[in-house]
Amino acid sequence: MENFSNSILTPENLPEIKPEDFNLLDKKYRTILFIRVAIFILFMVGGFIAFMILSDEEPATEITIIITSIIIILASYSIIITIFGFPKKGYLVREKDISFQKGLLIFKSTSVPFNRIQHVEVNQGILAKMFKLSSVKIYTAGGSTSDLSIPGLPVKIAENLKAFLSKKISEHE
Amino acid sequence: MNNPDLSKPTRQSVKGLILIFIIGVRQSIRIFWPLILVVVFQEKILENKLVLGIIGVVIFTLLITHTILYYLNFYFYVSNGEFILKKGYLRKKVLAIPLDRIQSVNTKQNILQQLLNVVTLEIDTAGSVGKELKVHALAKSFATELQNQLRAGTTKKATIESSGQTETQEISEKLILKLSPIDLLKIGISQNHFRTALIILAFGFQIFNKIQDIYADKTEEYSNELANYLSQSNWALIIFLIVFFLVVSILFSLFRTVFKYFEFKLVKQESAYRIEAGLLNKRNVVLPYSKIQELNWETGPIKKLFGIYHLVFKQAVSAQNKRVQLVDAPGCLTKHLNLLKTDLFGDEVLSDIPKISTNSYYFRRLWIIFGWIPVLLISPFFYSEWLLWVGVVVWLLITGGYSFLILKKRYFRMNSNQIRISKGAISHKFTQMELFKIQSVEFRQTIFQKRRSLATLKLMNASGSMIIPYIDESMAKHIYNYLLYHTEISEKRWM
Repeated sequence: MENFSNSILTPENLPEIKPEDFNLLDKKYRTILFIRVAIFILFMVGGFIAFMILSDEEPATEITIIITSIIIILASYSIIITIFGFPKKGYLVREKDISFQKGLLIFKSTSVPFNRIQHVEVNQGILAKMFKLSSVKIYTAGGSTSDLSIPGLPVKIAENLKAFLSKKISEHE
Repeated sequence: MNNPDLSKPTRQSVKGLILIFIIGVRQSIRIFWPLILVVVFQEKILENKLVLGIIGVVIFTLLITHTILYYLNFYFYVSNGEFILKKGYLRKKVLAIPLDRIQSVNTKQNILQQLLNVVTLEIDTAGSVGKELKVHALAKSFATELQNQLRAGTTKKATIESSGQTETQEISEKLILKLSPIDLLKIGISQNHFRTALIILAFGFQIFNKIQDIYADKTEEYSNELANYLSQSNWALIIFLIVFFLVVSILFSLFRTVFKYFEFKLVKQESAYRIEAGLLNKRNVVLPYSKIQELNWETGPIKKLFGIYHLVFKQAVSAQNKRVQLVDAPGCLTKHLNLLKTDLFGDEVLSDIPKISTNSYYFRRLWIIFGWIPVLLISPFFYSEWLLWVGVVVWLLITGGYSFLILKKRYFRMNSNQIRISKGAISHKFTQMELFKIQSVEFRQTIFQKRRSLATLKLMNASGSMIIPYIDESMAKHIYNYLLYHTEISEKRWM
């Protein structure tokens, strides 16, 4: 291990990315996430009820119990993930790069240097439109795996961010 | 002919008429095949020979007119530093690409083109027009000349931009690697037959099971002799099948290798490689160094015996034509590999730098996922059968051994400019990349990793991504920060 830091020539103070520096997403975005979870649960429950009504024979009680418990587990899982996962989501704009982090069970933090950005896009879904939120998508040359998407930004901030990034891209060309 | 004047609009070779005609026939068959089927199966229409004859003549003349018009309206030239291609007669199309945007100029030749001695010229760009910049029939000598001129134009521009030096127009070529038929034989034999055999075997077993099912139904009607015989001789049969499929897959790999890499040549040009190969479909690909994002090389148990490596140059992926971007040399020796590494990565020797191994928890995770979880999932179904218990132990031993091999081969070496990642299980794969080619970096940590202060890093470049799993958390963070710093201060063009 010691050999490693010797072999790499690093400047004295390498700028560090710290999870606590990240900006949280807009609170309204959490509401959107909850609505999505609600829709998901509705579909599951609705499907299950439709199945119960439409099936000719009365389904065995074991099956009913298993399916009900699966639905309960999935529903509570997605609710918990949404509640506790939201504070983990955040973005960070530094002088020379932009980062996004997320994840409760699997924490992920992705950074893209400005001089690798190909183009920037602002998107808005139906739900986001109702809450006046947008997401900023950052494209690199690496294909979909290396692209970065920041959801849950107020429209104004998203537009500003896009303008800022576009300016940075043109500086590097 | 040897010195094409690119400033004047040039048409394709006259022989191209034949090709355009055949492409036209193929296209119309593709569009009208339902109609053709109707005609063939409706005997009434067939009876009326006159109508049929008239239709035939009309179609034929239409195709001929199309061919001639297409040929006459297709031309290309260079003007104002742009390569311009015009085509189409009903709907005219003009494609223009600035010369300095041209990534490489490649040629392809299928069997018909080989007979006519013409080639397809493909101009590769970073953008989306690339796919359409194709000239299907060019005389071979003309194409080579054009290839050189366009290349000379692009490299000249590039070097002037970067260093201000002037460059000679002549492109000097140096042969690095040539594969003889004997080399191809070795390469064919050293392919991963096990994988091929397994695929064929799985397929074979399905058929075998089907046959057994059918016989099981009929045993009551006839005699169950055959079914008995089949089940008693299962072991003999399995061994026979394994040997049979291994032989088949070796032959298969051999033929594939010969067809794909016949007369393989790797040539070094000024800051580019040129690869030439193929029996029925000949290809000629130019690979500028700057376009190569990473170099991969692989060796396996049989390859080691012959001392050969399989080399893959990974290029920037453009969303349109992903499959073309892999260019490989199926077999090269250590000296070739070292030569290429010096060309692409300079004289710095990464092998002297201590390797950083993956944490042994990686082994544990692999073994749990591939060994224990499947066993636990199926355990309710077999707890009473002792033979299956033996099977479970064997399975756990095999997956354990395999996971251990994966752990041992997962390591990396890194200095301030480049990284080399090693991975594999039975075979051994290496990937080397210059660090400034990174597009983005990802730090990943599951809750299980967090407890043990471990993390996984993912480095993405324009040709894909590479993973460094299960290393020390602080080291992962340090590398993450360093890579961002390094990429951000880098002035080099990643492509």
